[in-house]
Amino acid sequence: MSFIDSLMAGLSLVANLESFLALAGGVAIGVFGGAIPGMSATMAVALTLPFTFAMQPITGILLLLGVYKGGIFGGCIPAILIKTPGTPASSATILDGYPMAEKGEAGRALGMALWASCTADVISNLALIVFAGWLASFALSFGPPEFFTLILFSLTIIAGVSGDSLLRGALSAILGLLLATVGLDLIYGTNRFTFGDPNMMGGLNFIAVLIGLFAIPEVLAMVWHPTAHLGKARSLGNNWVSFDDYKKSFRSIVRGSLIGVFLGSIPGIGAAPSAFLSYSEARRKSKNKPNFGKGEVEGVAASEAGNNGVAGATLIPLLALGVPGDVITAIIIGAFMIHGLQPGPMMFVLNVDLIYGLFIGLIVSSICLFFVGSVAIKGFKYVADVPKRLLIPGVLVLCVYGVYAVNNNIFDVGVMFAMGWVGYAMMRWRIPAAPFLIAFILGPLLEDNFRQAMLMSGSDWKVFFRGPITWFFWTVTAITIFAIVRMGVNAAREGRNQPEKES
Amino acid sequence: MSERRLQMQLGIGACLASAFLIFAAIPNWVAAPSNIKNILLSPMFWPYVLAGCTGVVGLGLIAAGYRTAEGPSEDFVDAHDEGMGAWVRMIGMALIMVGTMALMPRLGMVWTSMLCFALTAFLVKTRHPVAAVICAVVLPLVLYAFFAHVAGVAIPQGNFVRLP
Repeated sequence: MSFIDSLMAGLSLVANLESFLALAGGVAIGVFGGAIPGMSATMAVALTLPFTFAMQPITGILLLLGVYKGGIFGGCIPAILIKTPGTPASSATILDGYPMAEKGEAGRALGMALWASCTADVISNLALIVFAGWLASFALSFGPPEFFTLILFSLTIIAGVSGDSLLRGALSAILGLLLATVGLDLIYGTNRFTFGDPNMMGGLNFIAVLIGLFAIPEVLAMVWHPTAHLGKARSLGNNWVSFDDYKKSFRSIVRGSLIGVFLGSIPGIGAAPSAFLSYSEARRKSKNKPNFGKGEVEGVAASEAGNNGVAGATLIPLLALGVPGDVITAIIIGAFMIHGLQPGPMMFVLNVDLIYGLFIGLIVSSICLFFVGSVAIKGFKYVADVPKRLLIPGVLVLCVYGVYAVNNNIFDVGVMFAMGWVGYAMMRWRIPAAPFLIAFILGPLLEDNFRQAMLMSGSDWKVFFRGPITWFFWTVTAITIFAIVRMGVNAAREGRNQPEKES
Repeated sequence: MSERRLQMQLGIGACLASAFLIFAAIPNWVAAPSNIKNILLSPMFWPYVLAGCTGVVGLGLIAAGYRTAEGPSEDFVDAHDEGMGAWVRMIGMALIMVGTMALMPRLGMVWTSMLCFALTAFLVKTRHPVAAVICAVVLPLVLYAFFAHVAGVAIPQGNFVRLP
């Protein structure tokens, strides 16, 4: 199929009102979800997922991508107005956004955040379109040993989502891998931790686990401390962003977008480090360097370009290799699975119309983000007025319906509740939930490819070193592990030196 | 809770979990055919590897705990310590979840969800009781309408009042 044929096939899938409404609706839901502190873009995507079951695959996936993009932008609204990032990715936006709000320039900061986000989004989408197909065509030559080494490398992404303790991240990932072993054995069909219950034989439902892990702990945290969320929103002020502001910040926006694209395409790094790196680079190179941290509009532009530049790029490993780039793309994999699609190189052969449909939809999503974001900035006051103590019971009921709808099975609702308590315990003991989910997804793939490779080689372990691709992944895995260990040792050394300096 | 205590608790917990998996859970609850020649292909191999890794990480956490300086650290529990009332509410929430599971097949999902919403809203001390009751009735009905009539999901109806 030629490029034009593929493009036309994609266009025939998405050139309908339903797809555009799904995108626009998704962006609106995402902005709403991202703008409510404690709700987060991740939770918004997780809660929207069950509503996609009845939709066409392309419509459902576009809805989720809209929520993802809207959520990443929406996080900047509370970051600027109430100094509380709606998503971790918006943490860097606080540095200059909140001081601008204090000066009565919240509207200008939010406007610049929107313009920078949309620009970065377009650049990120273009990078996805250019690189995903190339990477997928390369990955078509992968067999089980290559996939095993790739997934092993992908598991090192856990270091990027482990927060302040790598060991706690590793513990979380091992728990996720262990939970993924529940069900019938992939090769011999024998029972593993099923306790004779037929509901367990297919393994634990992915959606029940993820909603339980991300949404229910928020409900439990609210039950533990019902008034923790109380805070005041600020007014937007009368100053709005001008084209001159945009022009002055344009270099920082493009630089931030490219940083986002680069870091986003590496699984596990995520949007927050990208935003901080973009911010620090903008500060280093700006003429207004002394103004940074005191309410500099270029600082807001750089951090927002950094985090939104990641959004399209995280889909590169997802679509090309079937490896989630972050937690949200891990949830989006669920939508693909529900519709019987397996992201990866074969998708570029079997579902090329869907791939091009997604590309077209993503470009349109940047335009949707601009219009929906403009309205959301002015409407946030009303969003913030939704009482959290009504929102949370609503989330609980939504979770019950959503999880039940996956398999029409009440057992899954029980799994969700149980995982909710596990997630809450992890929250209390500061064990990050993201490694758990990523390992839960990658675990069966890792084991399956390992055993397939052993079977095809007659149990000869040399199969894992059979060519340049496997050697490449072993090398990058070794380099990554070395870097992680070195970083950990340095952090521990700094931690030990800190109290000495203080005393 | 200090960072040191947290690491130690997690480390000890991980080591105990590892021992439980290796000596009790895997031998009893993972079945493997008796004629497997290569241990690497056994259904038990992967769980044993993971159990071993849990133990290693547990030991790592204990070692990290020993090396961490004792000192106060603000965390979720310390920052939001609500005393006895919080524990009572948590038990209440657990009962709501157990009740939801028990009542769903009998009352149906819609009526159970209404109760679940209302009880949770009052458990978190909502300042809008009337709005909470209205939402408790409306939201499950709207979700039922969507899932049953748009998505085609067979929502459990229960034994008493059935919805169209």
